[in-house]
Amino acid sequence: MADMTVEAGAAAPTTMPRRLSEGWFAWALIAPAMLFIGVIVAWPLAETLRLSFTDANLGGEHWVGWANYQALWDSSPFAQTIGRTFYWMVLSVCLKLILGLIGATLLNAAVPGRGLFRVLVMPPWVIPIAIGCIGWLWLYNGHFGMLAGLAQRWGLIGGPFEFLAYKQSAFYSAIVTDVWVGTPMVSLFFLAAMQGVSRDLYEAAWVDGAGRWYRFRRITIPQIMPVIVSMALLSAIWTFNSFEVIWILTQGGPRGATTTLIVDTYKTAIGNYKFGEGAARAVVIVVLLASFSLIYLFFLNKVNRKYGVK
Amino acid sequence: MATLDLQNISKSFGAAKVLQDISLAIQDKELVVFVGPSGCGKSTLLRIIAGLEEATTGQIVIDGADVSGAHPVDRGISMVFQSYALYPHLSVFENIAFPLRVQKMADAEMRKRVATAAEILQLTDKLPLKPGQLSGGQRQRVAIGRSIVRNPKVFLFDEPLSNLDAALRGDMRVELSQLHRELSATMVYVTHDQVEAMTMADRIVVLNKGKVEQFGPPMELYHHPATKFVAQFIGQPNMNLLSGTVKGVGPEGLAVEVTGGTVMTLPVEAGGTRAGDKVDVGIRPEDIGLGAGLRMNVNVLERLGGQSITYGLLADGARFCATLDGDAAVREGEAIDLTVDPADCHVFNANGDVLRRLKAPELTR
Repeated sequence: MADMTVEAGAAAPTTMPRRLSEGWFAWALIAPAMLFIGVIVAWPLAETLRLSFTDANLGGEHWVGWANYQALWDSSPFAQTIGRTFYWMVLSVCLKLILGLIGATLLNAAVPGRGLFRVLVMPPWVIPIAIGCIGWLWLYNGHFGMLAGLAQRWGLIGGPFEFLAYKQSAFYSAIVTDVWVGTPMVSLFFLAAMQGVSRDLYEAAWVDGAGRWYRFRRITIPQIMPVIVSMALLSAIWTFNSFEVIWILTQGGPRGATTTLIVDTYKTAIGNYKFGEGAARAVVIVVLLASFSLIYLFFLNKVNRKYGVK
Repeated sequence: MATLDLQNISKSFGAAKVLQDISLAIQDKELVVFVGPSGCGKSTLLRIIAGLEEATTGQIVIDGADVSGAHPVDRGISMVFQSYALYPHLSVFENIAFPLRVQKMADAEMRKRVATAAEILQLTDKLPLKPGQLSGGQRQRVAIGRSIVRNPKVFLFDEPLSNLDAALRGDMRVELSQLHRELSATMVYVTHDQVEAMTMADRIVVLNKGKVEQFGPPMELYHHPATKFVAQFIGQPNMNLLSGTVKGVGPEGLAVEVTGGTVMTLPVEAGGTRAGDKVDVGIRPEDIGLGAGLRMNVNVLERLGGQSITYGLLADGARFCATLDGDAAVREGEAIDLTVDPADCHVFNANGDVLRRLKAPELTR
């Protein structure tokens, strides 16, 4: 017993400082990253939260408690904006996923010139969004745009038609452009997932007599389902926050027809200098996106379990 | 079940000739193993039979019907893949039932067939599980189950045991042989493992560089290899080959001078060989015993229990291997004297073709 005590006592001075220094070393390693995250994420988030309880504007700020949130809650235009944002997001994401899946399937098919098609699908994603959107502005132009020109030539419309001047057409035009921007990446992610599916699975199914559609339905889709779910969430977040497309095409107009939450927040905070009210809107966005992420994690786990992904 | 005839099958990928004029007649209920080194074309030949590849020339005839251009389903074949090709998102039941669902078979009949296959393969309690929850051997059985439910005319196996560890491979070998007997099915089995080929096959096809080197029962290939390639491929450890010169030809065989000036009279047919011709003398390690004859310096000794495998060099520097008794008094670094019965020797002419042995053992299957 006495020996053991002596040994423990003797060991302590050599191991304790080492443990301590290892701990400090570990903290030193992650400190830059923590500092970075603190400066660009945590502090702005905390500041936004604080501002949302004030009436901050160019003239100063006063604590107003929940007043900004109460105003949002009572505002029917804001409720409409939320509804419009969700409609925008669901429609755009669904189109991106469907077109992305079709595109990936075509790009994965053993057709001549497949490599060229894979390159051609990239431009919408590769060129800056602003440049792409300015191109679409021209396409939608009633007098000089190609769409109106073709529609007139084919007799679909009687005269010039400004796609971005009317509420409904502006909204759906913005969706078309957003889908054009977002689909290539979805397609490439799906293509990568499809290429990861073992060729043996298809050959085994083919030997068993499964046709093309059957193989797609019972092998391809289940095998890439985790990627589909992941892309659905990422795409939903990006589309929810999509600002450039709407701002360049319509600036949220006409008469608010294309104003989504993020555009509304920008207009309030930056356009009208109502930083406090803008911050409250930003907090609502954060809460909604956090909810998406939680739902996504729940579904992803479920899908992974169902489709045998570890 | 059915017969399978391959008639003049050739396959080229661009300029590369992978298979050259292969003709084989596989009988009903026979288990034939295609064996050969990597790149010899054995898997390609199997895929051509399955309909996954198209032969450049030649016909595939199953049960008298030319199925060369037919879909795999219409050929009446089923295939077990090296990777098992199980659908990870489907249960064992659904994996086995997959081909039947494709056929839109009635539910009751499908369940009956899956249950029967599962019972044969001892998978009944695993039916609700996913492939990821099974061991390697169980996954292999599920893949076989998927083949069985279709009642195919010919079963095709593409290196089905190569992903298993050695112990499990041994067990599965026995199970597959048993399954073959139970199903009385025509089976074609591809492997690069000559032990699998020897233990399971009714007949073995040895392929090399896209050509059939020999097609026959395992013990025929062992005792009467047609070529030097087959002789070296079949048997474990590999057959020793000693360069020799024919000194004389007589009714009792050839007098051949091998390493160190030793002249042996080997009982083989002369087959046009004359005095002065160069030949190779093949000696299987297991035909060698301790005794005066060849002197070998032992470099490596492997004690396997029942056997001791010794590797070393002969006086002229030729590498040599002998399988001795487990307790043989041999040590690494020492020289030992080895002897062999001339009747056990194989002789190959300069083209690598065998000179037929006169005193080979009776063939057993």
